[in-house]
Amino acid sequence: MFSSLFSMRGGSYSVVIFFLTTLGLLISALPVAVVTLMSFSAAETAAFPPAEFSFRWYEALWSQLSADESSSAHSLGDALFTSLLVAAIVMLVSTFVCVPLAYALVRGGGRVRAGMELLFTLPLVFPLVILGIAFLLIAESLALDLGIWRLVIPHVALVLPFVLRNCMSAMNGIDIEIEEAAISLGASWMRAFLDVVVPLMKPGILAGLIFALIISFNEFTITFFMYTIDVSTLPIWMYSRTVSSLDPAVLSLSVGIILVDVIMILIIDKIIAGRASLF
Amino acid sequence: MNAHRSSLRSFALSLPAIIAIAPFLGACFYIFRFSVSGESGVISGYSLQAYFDLAEPFFLRSVWVTVKLAALSTLVVLILSVPIALVIASVRTALVRRLLTVTILLPMILNLLIQSYGWIILLGPSGVLNTTLRETGLISRPILLLFNETGVLLGLIQTAIPLAVFPILSATRVISREYLEAASSLGAGNWRVFYDVILPLLKPGLVSAASIVFAYNASAFAVPLLLGGRRVQMLGVAIRDMISPLFNWSGAAAAGMVLIVITTGVLLLAAALINRSARTPKPSEVSEPLQSGGGA
Repeated sequence: MFSSLFSMRGGSYSVVIFFLTTLGLLISALPVAVVTLMSFSAAETAAFPPAEFSFRWYEALWSQLSADESSSAHSLGDALFTSLLVAAIVMLVSTFVCVPLAYALVRGGGRVRAGMELLFTLPLVFPLVILGIAFLLIAESLALDLGIWRLVIPHVALVLPFVLRNCMSAMNGIDIEIEEAAISLGASWMRAFLDVVVPLMKPGILAGLIFALIISFNEFTITFFMYTIDVSTLPIWMYSRTVSSLDPAVLSLSVGIILVDVIMILIIDKIIAGRASLF
Repeated sequence: MNAHRSSLRSFALSLPAIIAIAPFLGACFYIFRFSVSGESGVISGYSLQAYFDLAEPFFLRSVWVTVKLAALSTLVVLILSVPIALVIASVRTALVRRLLTVTILLPMILNLLIQSYGWIILLGPSGVLNTTLRETGLISRPILLLFNETGVLLGLIQTAIPLAVFPILSATRVISREYLEAASSLGAGNWRVFYDVILPLLKPGLVSAASIVFAYNASAFAVPLLLGGRRVQMLGVAIRDMISPLFNWSGAAAAGMVLIVITTGVLLLAAALINRSARTPKPSEVSEPLQSGGGA
């Protein structure tokens, strides 16, 4: 099962590699595992390990979700709805702008391409706190009433590097002969682009869409600065619920989010398997 | 199709994306402009006062804590990530590889709140570790592992592992089986092969991983906020405090510029290092270091 890089011939080397790998995996996985286990606890408090198991926190979560929306300004249902709406708009906008750009960059090439790629990588390395503060300062000092776009605009900037990279790696695999063939058969350029190129880019587009969904749905830092009472997302709701003590109902919500994220990553991994790197 | 028309089309196709990224560029410019503003609440006039005001013990300590924790976490993350990358690179079974990838990737993608809940349950004052230790009588009062620098360090390490594993993993592609077989057939032991063959070949990946992890952790916000309590004032949290209770906007902008200089400085340095080593022979041409048992 193991090949050359990690020899199984025994000795201190293998022991150390095995130990460090196990430690790294434990650090990565332990919090998620504990949260999942705790969410099935039957106890009132978050004492671990749970003595008995039940679905009571899932029921509590469900009743919070289906309960009166109007009673509090900051309800779970509203936060979930806003989160999904923001993520959906972010997915649409980022894909809509990245598909033509990926085409232009791959077909255009040259020095412009390198510069543009660098420009669209910037949001990846720029400190999120600073972005959050900068967007807040702009929105406050210009007194803009943006509604849900308060969150959509920064989220789009955040996901652009991922979406563009996936679209470009899909675009790289499409031969120019294919669209030339379409054009020589009488199709307009637009027709060739929409009916030939875009369908071929589908795996890259899909991976980009999922990246946009995951990142926007889990975003905390920028949203923490930009949220208002009317426009607030699920992570902010969770933060406000647990800032003083741990509410086990939030743990059952967490398990839902973990599940969604794992499935999304598995889908991406399947789509881009071997053809592109995740970063 | 003439060249003029095609470049016009390229521009038209790029325009939507440029509009989408414009607010980000505007935000970058705005934070710089605010940091040199003459007043602390609005943009008016020019002054470097906000930068001079940063030269006080509280902010300098915050810079020190940030650099210290970022550097420490980078070191630990590299030590953990190299073995993980080597193991993932060696796994042949697609399912195992996929399982490992998800386990590694999850901490970065999942929102940090969920992970901090996990750490609180495990290591908090009434968490698993403390309860167990107290019941066995090893300690009489809980050890504080969270809401101090230890907790923040742990969180930084956890969230940054994927950032290091994937660049190192792609660097392992240049290590071919022949190098390792050649080295061990010449009598090199496992450790010798690791130090003299694997590590030098991984160097570009290691440098880029280290710089990314450092930059990412130096600008961490959610981890120190959730696992540090109010006691660990990393720059991200300190900057937020300038905004939220203090309303010192130009001060926050100036502090932000300091953070950007630190992170981009490290990233540029790493890029320069990688460029320099790229000018030396490509891995595919490296054969002498193996035979001479040398290396970097």
